[in-house]
Amino acid sequence: MSAPLLDALRETFDALPASRLAAGGLGAARRAQFDAALADGLPGARAERWRYTPLRALERRRFGRADALPDIDPASVPAANLPRLVFVNGVYAPALSRVDGLPDGVALYPLSQLLETGDARDAEFLARRFPARDETFARLNAALALDGLVVRVAAGVRVATPLALVMLGAPAGGDVAVHLRHLVELGDGAELTLVEYQAAAAPQAHLVNSLVQAHLRTGARLSHVRVQREDAGASVFARTDAALASEAHYARVDLELGAALSRHELNIALQGRGARAASNGVLLADGKRHVDTRLAIDHAAPDTRCDLVWRGLAADRGRGVFHGGILIRAGADGAAAHLSNKNLLLSPHAEIDTQPVLEIHADEVQASHGATVGQLDERALFYLRSRGVPEGEARALLTAAFCAVVLEAIADADLRASLDAELSARLPQVAA
Amino acid sequence: MATERTEIERPEIDQALNRRYDAGFVTDIETESFAPGLSEDVVRALSAKKDEPEWMTDWRLKAYRHWLTMTPPEWAKLDIGPIDFQAISYFAAPKARPKSLADVDPKLLETYDKLGVPLHERARLAGVAVDAVFDSVSVGTTFRKELADAGVIFCSMSEAIREHPELVQKYLGTVVPIGDNYFAALNSAVFSDGSFVFIPAGVRCPMELSTYFRINAMNTGQFERTLIVAEERSHVSYLEGCTAPQRDENQLHAAVVELVALDDAQIKYSTVQNWYPGDENGVGGIYNFVTKRGDCRGAHSKISWTQVETGSAITWKYPSCVLRGDDSTGEFYSVALTHHRQQADTGTKMIHIGRNTKSKIIAKGISAGRGQNTYRGQVKVEKTAEGARNYTQCDSLLIGKKCGAHTFPYIEVKNPGAIVEHEATTSKISDDQLFYCRSRGLGEEDAVSMIVDGFCKQVFKELPMEFAVEAKKLLEVSLEGAVG
Repeated sequence: MSAPLLDALRETFDALPASRLAAGGLGAARRAQFDAALADGLPGARAERWRYTPLRALERRRFGRADALPDIDPASVPAANLPRLVFVNGVYAPALSRVDGLPDGVALYPLSQLLETGDARDAEFLARRFPARDETFARLNAALALDGLVVRVAAGVRVATPLALVMLGAPAGGDVAVHLRHLVELGDGAELTLVEYQAAAAPQAHLVNSLVQAHLRTGARLSHVRVQREDAGASVFARTDAALASEAHYARVDLELGAALSRHELNIALQGRGARAASNGVLLADGKRHVDTRLAIDHAAPDTRCDLVWRGLAADRGRGVFHGGILIRAGADGAAAHLSNKNLLLSPHAEIDTQPVLEIHADEVQASHGATVGQLDERALFYLRSRGVPEGEARALLTAAFCAVVLEAIADADLRASLDAELSARLPQVAA
Repeated sequence: MATERTEIERPEIDQALNRRYDAGFVTDIETESFAPGLSEDVVRALSAKKDEPEWMTDWRLKAYRHWLTMTPPEWAKLDIGPIDFQAISYFAAPKARPKSLADVDPKLLETYDKLGVPLHERARLAGVAVDAVFDSVSVGTTFRKELADAGVIFCSMSEAIREHPELVQKYLGTVVPIGDNYFAALNSAVFSDGSFVFIPAGVRCPMELSTYFRINAMNTGQFERTLIVAEERSHVSYLEGCTAPQRDENQLHAAVVELVALDDAQIKYSTVQNWYPGDENGVGGIYNFVTKRGDCRGAHSKISWTQVETGSAITWKYPSCVLRGDDSTGEFYSVALTHHRQQADTGTKMIHIGRNTKSKIIAKGISAGRGQNTYRGQVKVEKTAEGARNYTQCDSLLIGKKCGAHTFPYIEVKNPGAIVEHEATTSKISDDQLFYCRSRGLGEEDAVSMIVDGFCKQVFKELPMEFAVEAKKLLEVSLEGAVG
C-alpha cells in the first residue's frame, strides 16, 4: 500500500547492519523516527507547508543506497583551496577531504568517525525527535543518516579560513537516496565561515536528504554560504535548524541554482537577547526545475533582529516557491524583522508562488515584508539596447543587477567573488 | 446581554439535544420554531415553511447532502471549539423581545449614546418591538416605488424566489457554488433569508441600497443569503450592516453573498459589522463565518468591497473577486479590529483570469487587549491574465502586549506579463507620535484615536460619507479601555 519511495527506504533500513544503526546508543531512536515516517507517509497536497510542492511523482520512485566510492577527479571538487569534508553519494571520501592545518580549538571530522570511535554523548544531537507529521524528510534523516560533517569551534576561537562541506552526487549504477546529518557548534564568541556545496560530479537522479543543525552560543558568529547546483535530474531536500543564544549572529547566503526538485527549509530560532539573523538568497527555477525555499525565523527573545533578502527567477517551465515566515513571540519586545522578496517571471509557462508571512504576538516590534512578481524593466532594457548592448546581454546584465543585492552581504571578498562567479555562470542561461 | 448569548450552553438545550428526533417532527411544522437539529427533513420542512418551489427545495437538499461529506476548515488561525450543528434551531420565530427600552441592558444603551444613535432607532436596534414607534413599513414602501420606477428589483430573497424565479435560478450559486466550502454549503441548505438586488442594463441605482435595508431587513436570521446582479453598464452601491451593536439571539452566523457584474457594470459593497463580540473574558459573542464573492463576469466591470469589522467573537471572512472579464477591476478595503478576546481571520482573494485585470487590496488590522487579528489574502494570476496588476498593502497596528497581528498572503503568478506587489508592516503606535499629540495638549485616548483614524483613513475614504463618520466613532468606542 505504501509508496514505492518509502518501501525502498524500508528495504535500505532493514538491510543496514544493526551495529551501525545502534552506534551511539541511537538504535531505538532511529527505529522510532523511521516508524513515524512510514506511518504518516509523505506530506500530501493538503499539508499546508507543502501546498506548492507536490511529491506525488517522487513518491513513485525507488532509491537504493550507495556504499562504494566512485572515482572522482579531485580537480572537479568545489572549494579546492579550503579545508573540507567531501561526501560522495552520502559516503565520506577521505581522499578528497582535507582536515589538516586547522587552528587550535577547531574540531572537524565526519559523523561516521564520531559514531565509530567517539564519545556517545557527542552524538546525542542525533537522537532529536521530529514530532510534526509533515516532517517526513527530517524523520527519515534521523533514521538513516550515518554520516555528515561535524564541526565544533571552542569558545573565543575565530577561524579565519572558511571550512567547506561538499556533497557530491555521482553515478552509482542506479538512483540512490543520500542521507546526511551535520552539526555545527560554536562556543561563546567563536567565529566561523562555512561554505556548503551541493553539487554533481556527473549526471544522476539521486535523492539527497541533508540536515544541518547549528548551535551558536553567546556572541558566536557564523557565516554560512550554500551553493546548490545539483544535477538537473536530482531531488534535494535540505533543512537547516539553527539556534542562536544572546548576541549570536548568523549570516547566510543561499544560491539555489540546480536540481530538478529542491526544497530547503531554513529554521532559525533567535533564542537569546540581541540574537540576529541575516539570510539572503537567489532562487533560480529554469528548465523544468521546481525550487522551494521556506524560511521560519522565530523571534523568542527581546531585541532580536532578522533581515531577509531573497530574489527569485522563474523561466521556461520552472516554478519558484518562496515562503518567508517570521514569528515574533510574546515577550520578544524590541524585535525587528524585515523581509524583501522580489521575483522575475520570465516565461509564460513558468510560475512564482510567494508567501511572506508575519505572525506577531508582541507590540514593541518593527516588522515588515514586501513581495513582488514582475518582469525586467522594459525601459532599462530599451536604454541598454539604445547604447548598443545586444538584447541577450542586456537581459543578462539586468538580471545580474536584480540579484546583486543578495551577495552584498558577504564580507569576505574572495568568497563573494566565487559566489558571483557561480551566479554569473547560470544567469545568462536564464535570461536568454 | 452576555447571559442571553450563552443560551446554547443552557441545560434545557442539552436536554433537547440528547433527545432523539421522532416522527412527530413533521407535524411540528405549523409551530413557530423548529426544535434544534439538522436533517433532510429539517431542510424540507424549512423549504416548505417558506413556500418554496420544488427546484429550491432540491437545491437546498443537494447542498445539504454535499455538506454532510465536508469537514469544517481548520486552516484559519482561529481558536474555536467544535460547533454542534445539531444544537441549532434552523427555523426560529423571533424570541420574546424586551417590551421597552427600560428592559434593555443599560450597557447597550450607553453605547448607543456614545455612537449618537437617534433615539427612535435605539429601540429597533435593541430588538424592542417597534412597529408602533417607528413606521418602517411606509418608509420602505416609499423607497420601493422609487426603485421600481428605475427598474431596480430590491426585495428579500424569499420574495425573489417567488416573484423572480428565473433570475434567481440563473444566478444563485453561480458565484459561490453550493459545495464551495463548509459554511457556504450549510448556508445553501438552510439559508433563512437575505436580500436580492437586480439592476437592469444601463441603470444607475438611484440611491444607496442601505436605508431601506437598515429599516426593513433586520432579523433576516443567522443564515443570510444575498445575491446582487448588475447587468451591463449598471451601477449600484450596497450598504450592509450597521455601526450600532445589534442584539442577536443566534451565536452562529454563516452568510453567503454573491455579486455578479456584467460588462461595464459596477458594484460597490460596503459592510460595517458590529455583532456582539463577547465580553472582556471572551464569553459569548457571535461566530461569523461569511463567504462573500464577486464575479466580474463582464469586460470593464468593477467590484469593490469595503468592510469595517469590529464585532463578533470570531470573524472568518474573505470577500473576493473573480476577475474574469477583460479589463475588470477588483478592490478590497478593510479595517478589522479585535479587542478583548476577539479573533479575526479575514482578507480577500483576487483571482485574475481576464486580460489587463487590476486589483487593489488595502487591509488594516488593529489588535488590542488579547485580540488576534489575521490578514489572509490570495492573489492569483492565471496564465490567461496578460497584463494583470495587483497592489496589496496590509498594515497592522498593535495596542498592548497580549494581542497578536498576523499576515498570511498567498501570491501565485503564472503570467509573465503580470505585476504583483505586496507590502506589509506591523508596529505599535509609535511613542514619537503619541508624544507629539500629547505635547499638543491631546489626552492619551484622543491621541490614540486620532492616530488610529489616520491609520484607517485609506479605507474610511472608500465608505459612503455617513458610514465613514459612524465607522470612525465605532472604532473609538470599540477601543475604549485599550490604552493605558
